[in-house]
Amino acid sequence: MAARSVLKSVCTSLAGLKLGATGSNVSALQRINVPQLSALTIQSRGIRQVVEKQEGKTTTIEGKSLEVPAGPQPPNPTAKCPIYRWNLQHKYNYTDVLLLSQFIRSDGGMLPRKVTGLCAEEHRKIAVCVQMAHRAGLLPDHRPKLPEGHVPKKAKPQLNRYLTRWSVTSVKPIYKKGLKWCKKQLAVGHPALKDNVRYSVKPLYIKH
Amino acid sequence: MSSFTRSAQQWATFARSWFVIDARMQPPGKIASMCSVRLQGKHKPIYHALSDCGDHVVVINTKHIAFSGNKWEQKVYSSHTGYPGGFKQVTAAQLHQKDPKAIVKLAVYGMLPRNLHRRTMMQRLHIFADDELPEDIRANLTEELAQPRKIPRKLSEYTQEEIDAFPRLWTPPEDYKME
Repeated sequence: MAARSVLKSVCTSLAGLKLGATGSNVSALQRINVPQLSALTIQSRGIRQVVEKQEGKTTTIEGKSLEVPAGPQPPNPTAKCPIYRWNLQHKYNYTDVLLLSQFIRSDGGMLPRKVTGLCAEEHRKIAVCVQMAHRAGLLPDHRPKLPEGHVPKKAKPQLNRYLTRWSVTSVKPIYKKGLKWCKKQLAVGHPALKDNVRYSVKPLYIKH
Repeated sequence: MSSFTRSAQQWATFARSWFVIDARMQPPGKIASMCSVRLQGKHKPIYHALSDCGDHVVVINTKHIAFSGNKWEQKVYSSHTGYPGGFKQVTAAQLHQKDPKAIVKLAVYGMLPRNLHRRTMMQRLHIFADDELPEDIRANLTEELAQPRKIPRKLSEYTQEEIDAFPRLWTPPEDYKME
């Protein structure tokens, strides 16, 4: 990772020197504004600001990553997992879309744990909450991109739902509910979230 | 109220009111329990089973009802026509497509007491699949009841300021390609 970033800076500085050599022959006023080296800049998380510096005969064109202003400091900076750093352990739910949207891609999938730095249980809980949020329709802009010209065969009925544990197409109807002592219960929510903080006296019902 | 005349107090106590409930994004069971309480008259201190003190309840937007969990696919409504081989089992999704009012109606019917008053109470329940109400019912409405479930906000409903005010929990590494 460090090697890659070194190579990148070398690349940009080399390109700058080359352009600098041609640019020095022409006066500053007549120099054409070269389109920023889109082919050479490697894609990164932030859009880099292109900065031109002229030192005598050499012009250095450098791509500087924008300085993102440091946000508020987490209350527990020594923890490894971001959820523990901000003390949000048992406090989030499928409705906290502002939190969940930080861990998903633009097409709705989860980001890898090695990138986000989440610990295993929190990653699983967030994945479960993201699934439930998708099924509840709370993330309408994070849909997978359909190929162009794709016409859906028949319009599926739009049914409102929330706290759906299982995938909609995979679930079978319960034709035989069973007697009182052996009832087949309907699953609501997810057992991973059973330790969430509750401010009311009523317990969390997972089986309806 | 002590400032009312006797006739006005009598009228306020014994008149039959009309409640309206919006069932949009609400679980039908919670809507049905609120309806059954008011149809029996159990929300009144003058309640008695024989004194016919129930009120009218109007439920609107039942076609936008929301079930929790996978109940749309798992919950099964059964009935028998009386003829041999006439046992019908339909999932909640299929029943809702056929008749958007049926789920709420069956839920309320099951929550009312199993006596002869149940049919009269069901006649005082008015269910509408969408917003449109006939003029005479709209003229009778007295009170709107609060929705039992708080509807969560979608990500698109948050303003950009609110999204920016929420702190970034983690910073991606320098050369990670974020889509």
